[in-house]
Order: sequence, then structure tokens, then C-alpha cells
Amino acid sequence: MFKDLNLANLSKWWITIQISWVKHTAYRLNFFLQIIGPALVFFFVKYNLWASIYAGDEELVIKGFTFEQMINYHTWAFVVSLVAQGHGSWNLAEDIRMGRISSYLIYPFNFWEFHTASWLSFQVIQMIIASITLAIISFFGLVTFPSWDLFALGVAYTLFISLFWFTLQYLTGVMAFWLEETWILRVMLSIVAYFLSGAIIPLDLYPQWLVDILNLTPFPYLTYYPIKIFMGEVANLGLGLGLISFWTVVFALINHLVWKKGIRLYTAAGM
Amino acid sequence: MRNMTTALIKTHNLRKQFISYKKSPGIMGSFTSFFKRNPVTKDAVKGFDLEVKKGEIVGLLGPNGAGKTTLMKMFTGIIVPTDGELKILGSNPWERDKNFRKRIALVMGQKSQLWWDIPAMDSFLLLQKYYEVPQAAFEARIEKMSELLGVKDLLHIHVRKLSLGERMKMELMASLLHNPEVIFLDEPTIGLDLVAQENIRNFIKEYHRENDCCIIITSHYMQDVQALCDRLVLIFDGEKGYDGPLDNFEDILGSEKSVSFSFKNAPQKDHPLLSGYDASWNEEGTSVELRVPEEELCSLSAKILNALEVDDFATEKLPIERVMKELMNNPEILRQKREAQANV
Repeated sequence: MFKDLNLANLSKWWITIQISWVKHTAYRLNFFLQIIGPALVFFFVKYNLWASIYAGDEELVIKGFTFEQMINYHTWAFVVSLVAQGHGSWNLAEDIRMGRISSYLIYPFNFWEFHTASWLSFQVIQMIIASITLAIISFFGLVTFPSWDLFALGVAYTLFISLFWFTLQYLTGVMAFWLEETWILRVMLSIVAYFLSGAIIPLDLYPQWLVDILNLTPFPYLTYYPIKIFMGEVANLGLGLGLISFWTVVFALINHLVWKKGIRLYTAAGM
Repeated sequence: MRNMTTALIKTHNLRKQFISYKKSPGIMGSFTSFFKRNPVTKDAVKGFDLEVKKGEIVGLLGPNGAGKTTLMKMFTGIIVPTDGELKILGSNPWERDKNFRKRIALVMGQKSQLWWDIPAMDSFLLLQKYYEVPQAAFEARIEKMSELLGVKDLLHIHVRKLSLGERMKMELMASLLHNPEVIFLDEPTIGLDLVAQENIRNFIKEYHRENDCCIIITSHYMQDVQALCDRLVLIFDGEKGYDGPLDNFEDILGSEKSVSFSFKNAPQKDHPLLSGYDASWNEEGTSVELRVPEEELCSLSAKILNALEVDDFATEKLPIERVMKELMNNPEILRQKREAQANV
């Protein structure tokens, strides 16, 4: 893998990132909706939901969260999920199943390199979308920003988590060598992750014994703790980084093995 | 020219088996196959031997499902052979070494390799980097090929807006940018109109003449094969049926000629003189094409000319379409031929 780390190969990565960018933004209306869509979803779904739960009662405190704090929590949860989990790797499984990876097998640029470069390009777009969403929500005065250093830490942490999600989603993608449909796997994974990571409701609302168990899994470090950083509170940072790094490396290794085994089974259907 | 004698493609006893699972239709079928899977093994390629030298253009022909595409996939390293020896440019394709990949090209008529949502030129630029083509060579090749194919004005148009023929020309250009030594063309003219087909054939011919590369082409169009290939390889049911010069191909069916007669008035189709020679009639029944053994040619023609009112009359070598059709309907001809050769 590292023998390819030279200038010529870097320029292959760079052009792939550029071309993916062009592809992602090829349809202007689609791109526009992609940019403002998340802010609309936020107001229609999350804001309305919690507004009706709190029923306009500004004094009401649910497990230490006032309405204002709850909306602040969900704004950051939204930003974290946009940056860390925006990439679905939907194409990957489809490419394998429909025999489209044949082209990548012939080019002197590897399949994983192509997809990782596309992902990097996608991340840039997600960062822009997240910034715009954040700007719109803060225009309505619903967000409290932390200090700059915590903000920077939060962004870096979230980007690191996005790498974890990418390796995991890549794994569900390459399962397509064996499974005819992988979307159910991904949907299950994201639903479980939603509940256990604090993306739907803050972990503070869960019973303490469950939180204690969850703290030993990677889940809370994927959403809850990064949100906490953006809300000005750093906790379990070392443990979180350690767990996420560990699983990222494990998934990367499994991906490598699964690919090697899968490619021997590959029949290039439809070609 | 120093590599004239070494084979760029070499296979020996090459095999590929596919395993799939049988599933009865419907929900119950899905349910039972979930617990008990019935594996079905299919031998797609059974012991294939082939040697192709530098500068050759080989036509790989056979009916659908005969194993042509499976062979192409193995040659390009997309799928792994089950057994046997396979060397392309001295490498095992399925190891997919990057240097190997830089020396070959594949064009799939049924499958687009260009990115749909961007102009062809953007794809070309991407491929230029992937294949590390120097800027000057890249520009010269784009200029030359787009001129030859007449697509200069289309380079900056989104690929999804191009017609099938235009897209195919772009696909060809994309695959040749890195000046590959071995080129695999899998049905490059499929679905194209006659003008586009001819345009692409001429381009391939011209390209081959200038670059002296090795080309393997599969096609269902005999014109492709007749225009491009010196050598023909037939594959039937995963096995090689014929391998030799195009000129000798007709000999498989013996020394027969194709004779066509046009009549003033449509004769009876079961006329004794016309039956028994694999007659193929036109719709109006006014002209017929016969397959006649060479030794009978003169006597039969004379009889027909005397007995019927013939307008026009022509004789030529058997077109390869007819040979192929005959062989597809009666694959045992090839086996008998092989056995006869083995006995000699």
C-alpha cells in the first residue's frame, strides 16, 4: 500500500477528488436542494418535535435540558451526523452487484483508492452543507458556540469519526460479494447506531447502567461525546479516540481480507 | 519487431467454472433455498488453448453463452481462472499488477466505462493521470483520434447526452489513450448503425496499422470480422472449435461455393434442381442462394440455366455468416473435422 505513495499516485488521488466533485455537483438544482435540505429537515422535524414535547414551557427541565439546551444539543447532533455519517457508500455495493467494478479492476488505480478519494471529495461537500446549515440555524439564535479551540477540537474529532464510519460502511458495501442486498444491513446498522450513540435523544435521558455499558462500546463516542465538545464539555476524550482508532483499524483490515476473498468470487455479472 | 515470435497471449488448458445456486420461483422458493441451497456448476470455459503474437488481430466468435466474454474477463484480470495456464504479456492477469494494467485495454460494447455525468474530456483527463500519459502524447492522441472518429466537437458534452455511436467512439478513445499493447474489444459495434459500424472498423484498422498492437475482438457482426481479422477463433460451449486464417474458414464445410440465381418468374420452391442444396430464398421467391459442392458447380448451373428462366447468376465463396450459421446448428461438424484431422 505504501509503495504507491509517490507524486504520480498523489496526482491520481487529486484528479479523482476533483472529478468526484464535478460529479457531485453536476446537477445544479439537486446540489442546491442538497445544501438547503438539511436545514429544512431540522426545522420541520427536530425543532417541531421538541417544541411540542416542551409545549412552550421555558421553565421545564428534562434530565438537565431546558428547551433551549435541547435544541442546541440537536443542532450539534445534526452537524455531527452531516459530517461524520453523511456518506452512505450506496454506490459501492451496487457497483459490485451490477458488475460495474470491472472498469476499476482494469484501471491502474485501485477500487479502494477510487472510493476513498470520492469519499474525501464528498466530505468537502458535507462540510460546506454543515456550515450552511449551522449558519441558518444560528441566524435564528438557536445555537450556542463553544470557544474556538473546543470548536476546532470538535471538528477534528468529528472528521476522525467520519473515517470510522467510512471503513464500516465500506465493509457493508463489500459484503455485496456474498449478499444480494446490503441495504437492510446498513439500515439496521444506522438505526442501532442512532439509538445507542445519542443522536435521537441525549444519553443523559437513558438509565445510568445502560450509559455505563455503552461507554465501553464505540457508540457514544460517535455522536454524544462530540456533541458534548461542541457544547463546551470535554469528557472521555482519550478513551473515545482509542476505541474509534481500534475499530477503524480492525474494519480496515477486515475490508482488505474481504476484498481479497470477494474478488476471487467475483463474476462480473452483466458484462 | 524483435518480439515478432513471442506470444503476447498464451493460454493452456484454461478453465473457468461458475457456481450458482438454483432457486425455485416465488416466496416459497426463496424460503426453501434459504435453508437448502442447490449448487449448480457450469463449465464456462473448458480447457482452452490459445497463442496470439504481436501485431495479430484475432476474431473470437461464437454463439451467446459460448464463453467469449468469460475468456475476455480472464484475459483482463477481472475474474480468476479456475484452472490452467494463462499469461498475458508475461503476467498472470488476475494478480492485477499495476504495470500489467497499464499495458492492456478493454472496451465493452455493452457497458459504459466513461462517467455518465461528466463530459468525455473530463474522463480522459482522469485516465491520463491514472495511466500516467505525458501531456504532449495525450494531446496528440486526443487530437488524432477525435479527428479520425469525427467527434472533435463532442469532447466537452456530457456523456449521457451522446448517442450510442458517439459514446462508443469515446469509449474507444478512452481505452486507447495509454497506447496499450494488447487490446480487448468485446462487441465494440453492437447496436450501432451501419455507418457508425464502418467508421469504428476503419478506425480500429487504422489504429492497428500505426501501432502494431495485438487485438482480440468479439463480435456478432461478420463484417467486423471480415474487415479486421486475419485469424479466427471459434468457441462453442466453452471449447475451441476452429483456430486458423479467415481464408481457410470456409473449408470447414468442404469446398463449397455459394451460387445465387435470380429468376424472371418465381419458380416452384420444391423444384428438383433447386432442392437439396440448402436453398435460401428471398421473400418474393424470385431469387435463391444455393450451397453447391465445387465439383457439381458447373453441371448444376448449366442444368438450372437450361431448365429455368434465369435473369442473373453469380457465384462466390461461401460467406462466413453461412458457415457460422451452419456450425451453430450442427456443432458436430467441428468435432468430426477434428477427429478426421487427428486420424490423419
